Amino acid sequence: MKENSEQIIDKSLKLAVCFFIASAGLWLLAAAFFAYIASAKLTDPFFLSSFELFTYGKIKLAQANAFVYGWGGNSIFAVTLWVVARLAQAEARGKVLLLFAGSIWNLAITFGLLGILDGHMTPHEMLEMPVEVWPALFLSYGIIATLIIVVHRSRRIKDTIAPQWFLLASLLWFPMLFLIAWNGLEIDAARGTVQSVLSMWFGQNVIWLWLTPVALGSAYYIIPAILGRPIDKYYLAVFGFWCIASLAPWSVVHHLEGGPVPMWIPAIGTVMSIAMIFPIAVASTNFHATAFQDINKVWNSLPLRFVIFGTLSYTVSSYIGVVFSLPAVAKITQFSIINEFHFNQRVYGFFSMIIFGMVYHMLPRITGKEIAKSAKSFHFWTSAFGVLVLLLAYLIGGLTHGVLAQQPSLDWASSVISSVKPYFLITEFAFIILAFSQLVFVINVWKAIIPSPFELLNKLSLIKKGAT
Amino acid sequence: MTEDKDKFHGNENMTDEELVEIHSKLNVEKHPPTKGFLSAPLIFVFVFGCLIFVCSIQLAHSTNQFQLHPPTDVVDLTDEEKEALRIERKFESGKKIFALRCASCHQANGLGIPGQYPPLDGSKWATSDPALVSYIILNGLKGEIVVKGEVYGTSAAVNMAAVPITDREIANVTTYVRQAWGNNSSEISTDEVVQFRQDTSAKQEQWTGDELVEMFPAVFTN
Amino acid sequence: MNNLLKFAVGIFLTLAFAWLAFVVGARVQFGDLSPISESLDEDNEIPEDADLFPMPQPGLAELGSSEYLALGCSTCHTQQVRMVESGFDVERGWGKRPSMARDYIYQKHVMLGNTRIGPDLTNLGTRILDPEWLHKHLFEPQAVVPESVCPPSPFLYEQQEFSSDHTIDLFDEENNSSRHLIPSSRATRIVAYLQSLKQDYELPEMAFIEEPDAIDLEEISTSVSDLATNEMNLESSALPTWLSQQITSGKEIYSKALPGGGMCVACHQQNGQGLPGAFPPLAGSDWVLGDKERLIKISIHGLQGEIAVNGEKYVGVMQGFGQPLASPLDDQQIADVLTYIRNEWGNSVSSISPEEVKAVRDSEKDRELTSMWTAAELNNFDN
Repeated sequence: MKENSEQIIDKSLKLAVCFFIASAGLWLLAAAFFAYIASAKLTDPFFLSSFELFTYGKIKLAQANAFVYGWGGNSIFAVTLWVVARLAQAEARGKVLLLFAGSIWNLAITFGLLGILDGHMTPHEMLEMPVEVWPALFLSYGIIATLIIVVHRSRRIKDTIAPQWFLLASLLWFPMLFLIAWNGLEIDAARGTVQSVLSMWFGQNVIWLWLTPVALGSAYYIIPAILGRPIDKYYLAVFGFWCIASLAPWSVVHHLEGGPVPMWIPAIGTVMSIAMIFPIAVASTNFHATAFQDINKVWNSLPLRFVIFGTLSYTVSSYIGVVFSLPAVAKITQFSIINEFHFNQRVYGFFSMIIFGMVYHMLPRITGKEIAKSAKSFHFWTSAFGVLVLLLAYLIGGLTHGVLAQQPSLDWASSVISSVKPYFLITEFAFIILAFSQLVFVINVWKAIIPSPFELLNKLSLIKKGAT
Repeated sequence: MTEDKDKFHGNENMTDEELVEIHSKLNVEKHPPTKGFLSAPLIFVFVFGCLIFVCSIQLAHSTNQFQLHPPTDVVDLTDEEKEALRIERKFESGKKIFALRCASCHQANGLGIPGQYPPLDGSKWATSDPALVSYIILNGLKGEIVVKGEVYGTSAAVNMAAVPITDREIANVTTYVRQAWGNNSSEISTDEVVQFRQDTSAKQEQWTGDELVEMFPAVFTN
Repeated sequence: MNNLLKFAVGIFLTLAFAWLAFVVGARVQFGDLSPISESLDEDNEIPEDADLFPMPQPGLAELGSSEYLALGCSTCHTQQVRMVESGFDVERGWGKRPSMARDYIYQKHVMLGNTRIGPDLTNLGTRILDPEWLHKHLFEPQAVVPESVCPPSPFLYEQQEFSSDHTIDLFDEENNSSRHLIPSSRATRIVAYLQSLKQDYELPEMAFIEEPDAIDLEEISTSVSDLATNEMNLESSALPTWLSQQITSGKEIYSKALPGGGMCVACHQQNGQGLPGAFPPLAGSDWVLGDKERLIKISIHGLQGEIAVNGEKYVGVMQGFGQPLASPLDDQQIADVLTYIRNEWGNSVSSISPEEVKAVRDSEKDRELTSMWTAAELNNFDN
């Protein structure tokens, strides 16, 4: 009978989850497109230069926003909805409302990105979309989050486990952050660099408290579910969760080191970043101690392979991040393209890889159609290669950039930036590979979604409206 | 259709219901007593303790007591040290200015070129009254002068004033000249130079050597 | 953890502590800073009549900041000079002192930025004095900084076929042609904004970093180049752009101290007449107007001993500017200053190109840079 109950749940989720995944895929492609243009513009400044729509700054912001809100937001909704419902053993409610809110979310982002490309952006990190679309974003997010919480509240088993903590926390954190930022930046706008502190705090927290917990929660779910063995040293998970919850919002401001703010702000940020070693260690112990008990199975299950790639990259690069937040190192790397390394690591190397794994795990269960293993495998190898090349280029390029910039005798354009140019070229290459692998992903996903029952075909028109 | 779906339901190693049950139990259950201690939590506690220790030290050192403004003086110097540091900076600045503006004639060693450019090293013109050397820089000098027994500038004049120079730069470069090489005279402050500039503001022409000798009799008497 | 409400309160609290510190706390501490004088008097009060800093942005500049934001410039350009212990910014000459929170209170959009693919712009207004340069850079960065990766913004300009009073002329060496740009009002706003970027005042909480060398050099070069460019704007409009550029630059070198200048004016005088007996005139001098090679040789290696100019005898020493002084002049600079003296004070003969200077420099590369020519030596060559 258990199969039956899971089947019923999946059926209730089908419409909404498919919608979110499908639109997430489209946003992923949009972001890949923007990422390619941006990187191509760095290698050849004259590329598309006569179009005002495509200045480097705008494209870069459009890419980040399409990625975080479009791909990130939609996939977060899909994953959270599905995992929460599955773990609650409860059916989804308000399918129409979910679709409606999802469409609004996607429309708001579409208008937001158009606003950015038209030059109406705000100067706030990760909130560059024009203020006019914020209410729509907030409202649609509120509806979706409420519906997910309703599902969670009707759960059959009262006890909650790690995946639920992470997913629900991220679900609740985002609106809190959003309200704080909205209030401090627009409604009752702060003056001077107080604004910068707040906008940086928000921008970094979106990554740390919204995307990261979803990826961690997914890993906490999928590893035991596929391996069939409980999380090793599970008693640490609760500790790890509260560590992230209490340290991450403090640690993000270390990027202001040396900046025009009182010294205690970056100082606290730096110290808390160092303390982040602990939750990182907890999460990686949990994941890897479990996964390495049955490494063959991990290798053979593609979703799990994606997830473990993500958790490994999370561990390694989080430690690198800790090192780069030390004042002595930050002095060199602070404003270099190492920042790109951090961002891309977090969104491509960690978040996206885990979400890919989750989608490959969820979709067959929802649609009943298996995705060809070779297609998934191809996707895995292209994206793993693309991510590694991209991150290495940004890492080495960033160090070069930082070290050369530190020597005042070197001319900026002809010595410092010229030495970094080759790395721009590598990133352009990596973004092409990534765009290609993401295209493979979207084709895989759409193939699984579209040809199934007839009703989906009807929905397609809806999806297209929402996402483009 | 149902058969198809069954492929994906129930073939996992752990259903979601089991997943929740097992993990919630893990959370509540006491660990079975093991021989000795569990090493992992001990290690974590130890590492965490060290971290807190390191972090609080770092915090205490770098937050600057939560002040709005950065500390004004990072190092606490005694008055003498501050004075020494100030003189040293002024001297270094003067050296640089000298290299840029003066050394092409008077040479980096301050010895000038015999018969052409008078030496500054050991010259009374440079090392005596602060006003004398400042006046020359402010308005230039023409005509013959006698430096260390040699006659210079049979009819030449140098128009140093043609290239703008600030009072601070004059103070720094004269201080350098008066203290470099074998010279060992008092420094000249910016305020003094401001005064000198005011005193001579009416004068358009370059000075002549004789004029200056008359103005500063004390310097040239012996 | 099982009660959703308690859980929500818990995670709200973790966030709220950080929020209290970084948002509420920060706001209380430095959310209402006001302008202040450069230094305070003995009682820690603002002296009467003192100018208060920062000054509000001019209206045009404020409009420009919105345009700057809209183009996304802050993606690659930061606007903050870091504390000396946390970075190289002051050393690099991006500011005389680290930026303070107070510097930003009047800015409509605070764009500190977090990546420097382009240089920091906090003090751009003190580094670049020439609005035309900024316009050219906006239109096509590569025209003024060949290695730049900054994308051009041609859409901010209209181009026309001919040069006029309102155009900015961009000379293209490859095609030997010029483009004539008319800046749009948006471009003008952005340039006004860029020129308004300066933190060139001290604050009680942060004085200029005492690096006397750097400061002095900057002052020397800006004060003179200011004069030179202002004067130059009035004349030589009939000359081709490249020539007038060479002359402008040469004039600056003539009257500027090192580095980047030759300080020729100290001896040869502003009117090019030199001084009888010691410093020969340049105006109407056969040595200047005649053989180019001889002139270039003198400028590189210097000249000593007796020399006859226009029938008068002079005895003197002139240092060469190719020799390693604090910073020798390069080929372009020598060519510019020689072109200038050949076309000033009634002189009017052909210009000298950097290539010619290089040729002479190469042909004499065995000669020690400190060994000066004598007039006799040079005249023998002639014969």
